[in-house]
Amino acid sequence: MASSSSYNCPCAACKFLRRKCMPGCIFAPYFPPEEPQKFANVHKIFGASNVSKLLHELLPHQREDAVNSLAYEAEARVKDPVYGCVGAISFLQRQVERLQKELDAANADLIRYACNDIPSGIACTAGSKFGSSHGSSAEAG
Amino acid sequence: MQPFSSSELFLLSLSLLIACRLLLPKMTVKGGTSQACAACKYQRRRCSSECALARYFPANQPKMFQNAHRLFGVCNIMKILRLLESDEQKDEAMKSIIYESDMRERFPVHGCWGIIWQLRQQLLLAIEELQYVKAKLTICREQWCSTHFSELQLGHVSPTNNDALPIFQHHSTDNAVPLSLKDHFVLNENDGAFIESNDDMVKPLWVQHPYYDNMINNNSMGIQSSQAFETLMCQDYDDIPFNTIADDRQSYIESKDVCESSSESSLKDTTQSIEYAWKNELRSAAACFSLTN
Repeated sequence: MASSSSYNCPCAACKFLRRKCMPGCIFAPYFPPEEPQKFANVHKIFGASNVSKLLHELLPHQREDAVNSLAYEAEARVKDPVYGCVGAISFLQRQVERLQKELDAANADLIRYACNDIPSGIACTAGSKFGSSHGSSAEAG
Repeated sequence: MQPFSSSELFLLSLSLLIACRLLLPKMTVKGGTSQACAACKYQRRRCSSECALARYFPANQPKMFQNAHRLFGVCNIMKILRLLESDEQKDEAMKSIIYESDMRERFPVHGCWGIIWQLRQQLLLAIEELQYVKAKLTICREQWCSTHFSELQLGHVSPTNNDALPIFQHHSTDNAVPLSLKDHFVLNENDGAFIESNDDMVKPLWVQHPYYDNMINNNSMGIQSSQAFETLMCQDYDDIPFNTIADDRQSYIESKDVCESSSESSLKDTTQSIEYAWKNELRSAAACFSLTN
C-alpha cells in the first residue's frame, strides 16, 4: 500500500479532485499519485462519492482488494461501455462449459478403456468383425 | 345566496382539476395506469413517458435500481447510455450494469472481478485435467492398437479404412498442441491485441475488446493468497446465473463440480515426460494471469 497523504504529496484522488489531501484520506492508501489514470477511470464510471461510501462500509483490510476490483471494472467499462467486464465473464463461462464437455467425453472414453470395453465408434463398424475374429482366434488358441 | 350556475360549476371543477395536476406528482405513465419506475420512485420525482430508465428499472424491482444507484449513480448511468447510439446497445449496457451492480451488492469486496478470477481458476483446472486425460487416452489407444494389431494384419479390418478405427479419427481433429490458455490469450504488449487460437470453437464474442488480460497482467491485486477469498470462491460464487445478459448466453458457474472432478488420482501413471512438458506450458500460461503487485 502506498501512503501518500503527506502534506507535500497528495494522492491521485485529491490531485484529480483538486483538493487538499488530508491525513486519513480514504483514497490515499489505494490511489498513489503515480497512477492517476486508475482514479480517473474509477471516478469517471462510479464517482468518487460512491467509491468513498463503499470503502467506508468495508473493513480496512478489505479496501485494497475492493479498490483494485473497482479499478479493473472501471477500466473495462471505459474501454467497453456496452459490456464492461461482464463480457469477460460470459466468454470465460463459455470456455469453461466447452472444456467441461470435452473433458466429460474424454473421461467417458477413458472409463471404457479402463473397463476393457470396446471404445465407442468401434462397435458399430469393426466391433462385430473383431468379435467374430476374436472368437475364432480364441477357439483356435 | 344564489347557487352556482352550471358554467360556474364547470369552471370551478376545471380549476380544481388543474390545481390537482399541478400540485400532485405525476405518478402515472402516459398511455397506461402503470406506476412510476423504480428509479423515479427512489428519487421521488415525476416519471415521465420519456424517462430513459423506466424500461430498465420496473417499479416492482426496487432493489435492482438501488444496487445500480449505489455503485454507479444515476448520472454515471446516463452518461454511459448517452455514449451509445442504438437501443440494442443501450439494452445490453443496462443489463451488464445491473448485473455488475448486483454482483457488487452480493460480493462487496471483489464484485465481478472475483467471478472472473474464479472462472479462470476453473479454466486452468479443466485444461490441466483435460491434458492429463488426453495423455492417458493416447496411451490406452496405443495399447489397444498393439493388442489388436494381429487382427488388423489378418485383414479383418482394413488399415486404410478410417471407419474401422474411428477412435483415432474421433480425436484426430484435436489440437496437437496441448490446449492452454496461452493459445487463446496471446497478448500484444503494444496495444493489448487479442489473438485468438485457430480452434474454431473458440470464437470470443468480445474479440474486439482485447484488453481483459492486459488489465489482469498489469493490475495489482493481492487476492490470490487470500484465504478469505478462497473460501469465498468455493462457496459463495456457486450457481450465479448469467441469464440476465442475453438469451444465447446460457452460462453458469460450476465451482464445486470442477473442484471435485480432479480427484481421479487412481489413473495416474508413469507418463512423466508428457506431463512435465504440458505442466510447464500450463505454468507459463498461468503466469500470464498471475496477479502481482
